[in-house]
This record gives sequence, structure tokens and C-alpha cells, in this order.
Amino acid sequence: MIKWNFLKELGDISEHDQAAQDGLRKRILVTGAVVVFFVAIILLRLWFLQIHKGEEYKNRAENNRVRIREVAPPRGDILDRNGKELVTNRPSFNVVLVREDSNDIDGLLKRLSVVLKEDVSVLWERIRDAESKQRHIPVRLKENLSWDTLAYLETHNKDFPGIRIEVFPRRFYHYGDMAAHIIGYLGEISKNELEETNTDFYRGGDLIGKMGLEKLREKELRGEKGNSSSEVNARGFEQQLLTHVEPVPGNEVRLTLDIDLQQVAEEAMDVDEKSGAVVAMEVKTGRLLVLASTPRLHLADFEGGISSKNWSALLDNPKHPLINKALQAMYPPGSTYKMVTALAGLAKGVITKDTTFFCPGHIDFGNRQYNCWKHGGHGTVNLKRAISESCDVYFYQVGMRLGVDALAEYANKLGLGLKTQVELENEKSGLIPTKEWKKKKYGVKWQDGETLSLAIGQGFNLVTPLQLCQMTVILANGGKRYVPQLIESVTDADGNVLESFTPKLAGELQENERKYLALIREGMAEVIQGARGTARVARIEGINLGGKTGSAQVVRLEQYKHLQEENIPYKYRDHALFICFAPAEDPEIAVTVVVEHGLHGGSSAAPVARAVMQKYFANRIAVDQIRKAVTQ
Amino acid sequence: MFCVDRRFFMNFDWVLLSLLFMVCGMAFLNLYSATYPPLGGVPPYLKQCYLLLMGVAGIIFLISFDYKELQLWNYPIYIVVIVLLVLVDFVGNSAGGAQRWINLGFFQLQPSEPAKLMMVITLASYYSRKEVANGYSIQDLITPIILMAVPFLLILVQPDLGTALMFVIIFISMTVFAKLRLSSYIILGLSGIALAVLGWLFVLKPYQKQRVETLLHPVKDSMGEGYQILQSKIAVGSGGLFGRGYMEGTQGHLHFLPERHTDFAFSVWCEEWGFVGSFFFLAVYFFMLFWGLHVAMSARDRFGLFLAFGVVALIFWQAVINLLMILGFLPVVGIPLPLFSYGGSSLLTTLLGMGILMNVRMRRFQTESTLESCDL
Repeated sequence: MIKWNFLKELGDISEHDQAAQDGLRKRILVTGAVVVFFVAIILLRLWFLQIHKGEEYKNRAENNRVRIREVAPPRGDILDRNGKELVTNRPSFNVVLVREDSNDIDGLLKRLSVVLKEDVSVLWERIRDAESKQRHIPVRLKENLSWDTLAYLETHNKDFPGIRIEVFPRRFYHYGDMAAHIIGYLGEISKNELEETNTDFYRGGDLIGKMGLEKLREKELRGEKGNSSSEVNARGFEQQLLTHVEPVPGNEVRLTLDIDLQQVAEEAMDVDEKSGAVVAMEVKTGRLLVLASTPRLHLADFEGGISSKNWSALLDNPKHPLINKALQAMYPPGSTYKMVTALAGLAKGVITKDTTFFCPGHIDFGNRQYNCWKHGGHGTVNLKRAISESCDVYFYQVGMRLGVDALAEYANKLGLGLKTQVELENEKSGLIPTKEWKKKKYGVKWQDGETLSLAIGQGFNLVTPLQLCQMTVILANGGKRYVPQLIESVTDADGNVLESFTPKLAGELQENERKYLALIREGMAEVIQGARGTARVARIEGINLGGKTGSAQVVRLEQYKHLQEENIPYKYRDHALFICFAPAEDPEIAVTVVVEHGLHGGSSAAPVARAVMQKYFANRIAVDQIRKAVTQ
Repeated sequence: MFCVDRRFFMNFDWVLLSLLFMVCGMAFLNLYSATYPPLGGVPPYLKQCYLLLMGVAGIIFLISFDYKELQLWNYPIYIVVIVLLVLVDFVGNSAGGAQRWINLGFFQLQPSEPAKLMMVITLASYYSRKEVANGYSIQDLITPIILMAVPFLLILVQPDLGTALMFVIIFISMTVFAKLRLSSYIILGLSGIALAVLGWLFVLKPYQKQRVETLLHPVKDSMGEGYQILQSKIAVGSGGLFGRGYMEGTQGHLHFLPERHTDFAFSVWCEEWGFVGSFFFLAVYFFMLFWGLHVAMSARDRFGLFLAFGVVALIFWQAVINLLMILGFLPVVGIPLPLFSYGGSSLLTTLLGMGILMNVRMRRFQTESTLESCDL
């Protein structure tokens, strides 16, 4: 049979066909060689992976199976001095989708969009963003679910295959954006930070403090991670828990700030949308009670990374909300600097308590006329009146006799021109000029006329509001320069106090200098209590204040000179400053207010300080009034 | 139509059938492990049973007539498949952003799979009809290039780059096999390079480029693109010499391996059966392909030879690409291991290809005259 077929075949196929077929058959042999080549490669690779590297991969498979998951510790709370919670944690819930577990993403998203009240296209956008990622990796669809939505999704989870709820800790700001610059915010750790921190603590995606105390006290607040190892599958389903180590919660940080006072200060600044800073310090310790900068930052905007729109809005804002104006902005001190001139004059013996100068409203020096703010002049004034009525001519006279370097010496003794060493980032040191400084900086000799401007706080002088407050504290407490501090205590989760407040003395005036402070304080009390004081608006019934107003020239432009103050463009208006302490007899608290382009210390800055004082002494004032009522 | 006599049993390719039986048996065994425990619905191994039965019916149908008939029916088949490919772009079900399936109710048909077999038949038919002495000139190749380009483009827009490239590979294999003139080699080679460069610049989607890039640095992104390849290598490597035991592989059973019963099915096999088991499987599998080449060599005529060669090339290249991907030498392209990866369309197509091989083998001695005498 076979033979018959074979013969038949031979007969049918032509010679030519036969030759072509043979050519192709030879090619099949070549093909066979190609197959052998690839089989050899595959077998060699198999041998390499399974025999040569077999043990290594077996270990990796084992590690795959047992997954160690880090358990994030709850971050430490931040409290105010009275234990009021400023920042705590609360869980937030996100919806995530595992695409691999869903076979009808389109339908699922349509149903989900109704529940989440989110447009389908927005949800699709999230998925498209993750298109390049593998299908088993969860895609976050919406953050921060409401309780209602969460409850609905949990009870109807069978209707949403592939949808899971992810729990994520969030910072909760009990007082909104109050003290935002000090508290700071958290953000996802950046590549640079990961490299810089150089510890095993952080992984990509972790949150880390980015600003303020959240950043500076990161180590204390973050706590220690726990871990749990469990047998899991790649979908994240834990099959079996193997070990578990509880995380150690972060330490509780209690601030020296009084949040009620802070709130009063910030709200007072909010009136007329004032831009500037408020600082309040305890006179006898250096504790910071208020440290406010406006406009405020909106901490919620920073959570999970600030959007570029919000960021550029912050950068473009002419009131510079990103800057903590209490210590990162510098202003000419204006008339508040007259305290320095007064102390230097007394200490250097240039003037005494009773030295008088005649003020005709101006003084001629060199070939220039230096004006007093009061064109008609103050007449004959002594130091106390010069302070209370802020007579410029008196201080021109004193400054002329002192010289620039003596002024600088006492400015430094009162903390100006030096960093206060407060525990916050990017503190500015301000600028107190000397002859040497000008020579170095501009290569020009110091002009004596410049000393005159300097003596009343104009010219090269620059200070931060925090420095002004520290200066007020030194004047009020009799010469002690305390480092302003923000941390009252740090307590770990077991209640052990790791750190508690102790006053830090950075310097002290000599006895022969200290004795003049009482006189200056009397002058400052007159500013408020006196019949012609410049800050009579700050008076509080029942409490005696001492203070000083100031206005700092922003530009000296002739074209605006003839204008009414209200008609000067905002950015060319003078800054308003006000420093004060109370009670005048035995000071406890010092307050400094700077209102950018606020024109006059008396009219715009002093009311803010008054509000803070009133809140601080509220109980005593109330008790006073009751006593009065009873005695009547 | 049927011609059942003793010759049918004598000439029937029992060797190929038993090799096929062994490969499908191992595939079934592996599928049961890879999909355990079943998620609900009809378990995949049961579906595989139905598909195998359908495939056997398909083989019986295919060997019942002389393969010469395929040459007659070539263009009708071609048109039907093209219509299906066009249809899939409009009524197809999408998965992962690509339209690939037509829902037939009991079965999700992926027309790109039968299209591969159609391509083999079409090219075999063309090259056997058009015979030249000194190799094909570039003019001779215009028709086959167009015949290849139509399904290629239709599948490319689904988009399914991996499957589309299979058409190019089949075309190149069969064309080179058919012998070209030197000038044709040069022209095709240069235009091929130009097209590849243009494609990389303008056609490839970012995720596809990323897949190629991931291949170069897999560990860098171990939870993303490189994840599958890395997990696959871990699965294969952890098998060691004797494997972790059937149903004992942790990579597969704890779901670390994605697509573990489809594209990465062989990783599961390697993990559970080790080097010894993998070697055995590959020995059987490639012996089957060598046997296919043997079938081609013993073919009665030029068409049979091209058909058999084309079917072997189709299975061989898919297998090589899939295996190199599993072993970490190629990016994740979505090419299954024929007969071994779970997937109805691929399985049926490959079984039909096996049917063609058997047909060619059975009729290696027959001539048309004997066929007619038998065809009652």
C-alpha cells in the first residue's frame, strides 16, 4: 500500500518541482538550527535562574511572602500653654481602586461618581494618570470622604468590586489657620530630604514637617514606627499575622503661646486686612505669648502638596503671606528707636534727666534742615516730654552729641541688629549701621547728618518686630535680654517630661545703665497716660500701659508730600509701629505691633496692641470693676 | 467528504497527536494550580476542557478534507477574518483600554488569534502559487506585504502592538524561507529600519516605550513596570532543581505573579516543577515543533510545505517571545505561550494549526487523483 502511494507520488511530481522542494527542504534544516539556537538560550537562562541563582531567588520568594509593613506612629499633638489642643490627628478616608479586581471599570466609575458626587471625567482622569502603573497598584480616586459616603461605600461594598477604603492620618487644626507660620505644615518627603536625612526612618511617600515647628521639631513629633509582618498576597490581602510591634506615638509639644491671645491679635489684624506682625512676650521670662504674621497661610492648602495655582497666588500676593513678618521681615524702627537714643544719651552722660533742648520745629545741620514732625515745634522739652510727645529735635540733639557708633553700641545692647535665637527658621538679624559698616559696604565715609536721621529711627536702620519686642522687654524688666522661646514642654507618650521651659539670658545691661530704665519707662507711660501722649488711644481703664509709637518712612518721595495720607498709593505709605508693656508699675507683658503701610503707630498699630492687652488683663480688669462697684 | 479507510489510520500522525496530548495535559495540570482556589463562576480548568473538546472537533473537521482546499478557500477566509477585525474595533469589548474581543455569548472571540493562522494560510498559498527561480523580487512582494499590512494595521489600532508585530514576524519568516533576491533583502531591511524608527517616534504610546525601558532597569521600579518581570524571575528562580511541588508555589498562589494563568503560566510551572520539570516540558514542546518541521519536509507539495512551515513558525515565535519575556529577556508584550497559556482564541487557533500539520502529514503520499478516487 505504502509502496503504491510512493510510486504514484513519484510519477506525479515533475523534476522541476522536485528540485525546488529540495531547496526548501535544505532551508528547513537551517530553520532547525535556528530553533536549536533559541532552545539553547532558553535552557541556559533557565539553568542560570533556577540552578545558579536558585537559592537567592528562593530567599526572595520567601521575603515576598512575608511582607513587613510599617505601621505609622500617630504624630505628636501640639498644645498651647494652657493645654488647649492646637493640632491633633484624625483619620481620613480615601477611596482607592485596584483595576485588576474590577472587570467593568466604566460601569463602576459611573456608579461611583453618583456616590462621590464627582464627575466621571474627574475619576477617569485619576485612572489615566496611573495608566502606566501596573493594574494591581491601587489608584486613589478621592481623598477625605465624608462619614455618609464612607458608611454607604462600606455597606454596599459588594456593588463596588475593586474599590477599597484607605485610612490615612491627617493633621487637624483646631484653631484653623491661627499661628500657621509657627505651627507649619506637613508634606510628602522629597527626594532631597530623603537623601539629606540619611536615616532609615523615612520611606518615599512619608509625611515630613516642611515648615515651622512641624519641621524644626520633626524628630520629637514623628514618634517611632512600628511594624507588623504578615503573610500577604500581592493584592495586599493579609492572610495571616506573624508579628506585630506597636508604634511609639510622637511626643506632645506644648507651646508658650496663649492661643486665645493669639486669636485676639490675629483677628485685630484682620480688621481692614492689615498686613504685618504682632509679638507678645512675658517680660520676666522671655516666653512668647503671641507670634502672629498676617496675612495668614491656609494650612489646608498645603496638605498633600500645594497646587501650583495656590502657590503662585501666594508668591504673587503683594502682602507676602509666605513670610513670617515677625522675624523674617525688617522695617525701619521709626520713633521706637528713640528709646535707644535716650538710653545711650543717659548712659554716656550726654544728657541727664533734666537736660532740656529748645524745639522750634526744625534744626539746621550742615547745609540741610532736619524737621520735627510737629512743624510748630515743641518749645523747651526735657527727656520725659520728648519721649511722650516724640519730639524729633530733642533726639537730633542727643544723636548729634553721641555719634553713630555709640548709638549702635546701645542698639546692640537692647538686642537690635542681633538674631534673637528664637526657634524658627530664617530669622533676620536686622541692620544697625556703624561707621565701619558704611565704609565697608559703600566705601564712603559716614556723614554726620546721617546720624541725625538715625537717632530718630530712619536711615539705614532695620529691625524685626521680634527684636523690637525683645527691646521692650529689656526696657520693661530692668535690663535682662531673654531669648524669646516658644516651647513650654515636650512630653512623651508615657507622660515623662523630656524638656521644660527655663528662661535663657542672652545678655544684661550694666548697673550704671539699668538705673536709667525707670526714667525711660516713665516717659513711655506718659505716651499713653499723658495729656499730649501720642498713643492715648491705647489707654485701658484699670491698667496702666507704657509704650511708644513709630512710623517708618518707606520712601521719601517729593511727589507724594503734598498729598493727603489716604491718597498716597498703598505701597508708598509709611509703616506703623507700636511697642508697649504693662502694667507700667511692674511690667509683665510686652507687645509689639507692626502694620505695614499703616501710616501711624497711634492710629493703626496701637489698637491691635490694646486688644491684646485687654484680653491679657481681662480678669484683673473685671475684678477691678467689681471692686469699684462694690465700694461705691 | 469523509474518506475513512485503513490508510487514514496508517497515515495519521500519531506522534504529533501524542506530543500534543502531553503538552495539553501539562497545560491543564498547570492551569488547575494557577487558578486555585477558583474565584467563582465556571472555573477556568473546566472552560479549558470545553475548549479542548471544541479544538478536537476543529482538528477532526480540518483533517477530513485535503489541505489543498484551503488554497481555494484562502480569500474567503481572509475576508471573513478582516471583517471580524474591523468589527472588533466597533462592537468589541475593551479591556485595559484596548478593544480586542467580540462577545459571542458563550465565548469571547479575539479575532487577532485566528487572523495569525489566516496569515499563514494566505502567505503559504501565495508563495506556493507564485514560484520563481532566483528568489522573489521586490515587485513580487507587494501583494503579500499588502495582505499582511491590512490585519497588521487593524490590530495595531486596537491597540495591541505585540500581536500586530507577530504578523510582521510571520511575514518575515515565511518570506525569507521562500527565498528573496539580494536586492529585496536590502530594500526590505532598510525600509523596515526606517519604519521602526518612525514608529518609535510617532506611534508608540508612552507606556509601551516605558515597557522597553523597564526591561533595561527592572529593579529600579519594582512596584511598577518592572514588577511583573521581577516577580516572574523570582518565581522561575525559586523553583530550583526540583521545584517547590505541585500546588505549592507561593509566587503564584499568593498572587505575586500577575497574569499567572495567561501570559505568565509557564512561570508557575517553573516554580512548581523546577529545572527538571521545565526541561521536560521544553523537551516535549520543542520536539513537537521539530516534528512539525519534519512534517514540512515530508510534505507532498509546495503548498503543504509552506503551510506546515508557517504553522511551526507561528507557534515557535510566540513560544520564544513568551519564554524570553518570562525569563526576563524581553519586555511584557502580551504574547501567550501557545497551548500552555489560558486563552480560548489562542488555544483554538493553535489546535487548528495542529490540525493543518496533521492534514499535511496524513496526505504526504496522496496525489489529487487518489484524493478524488477516495472523495465520494
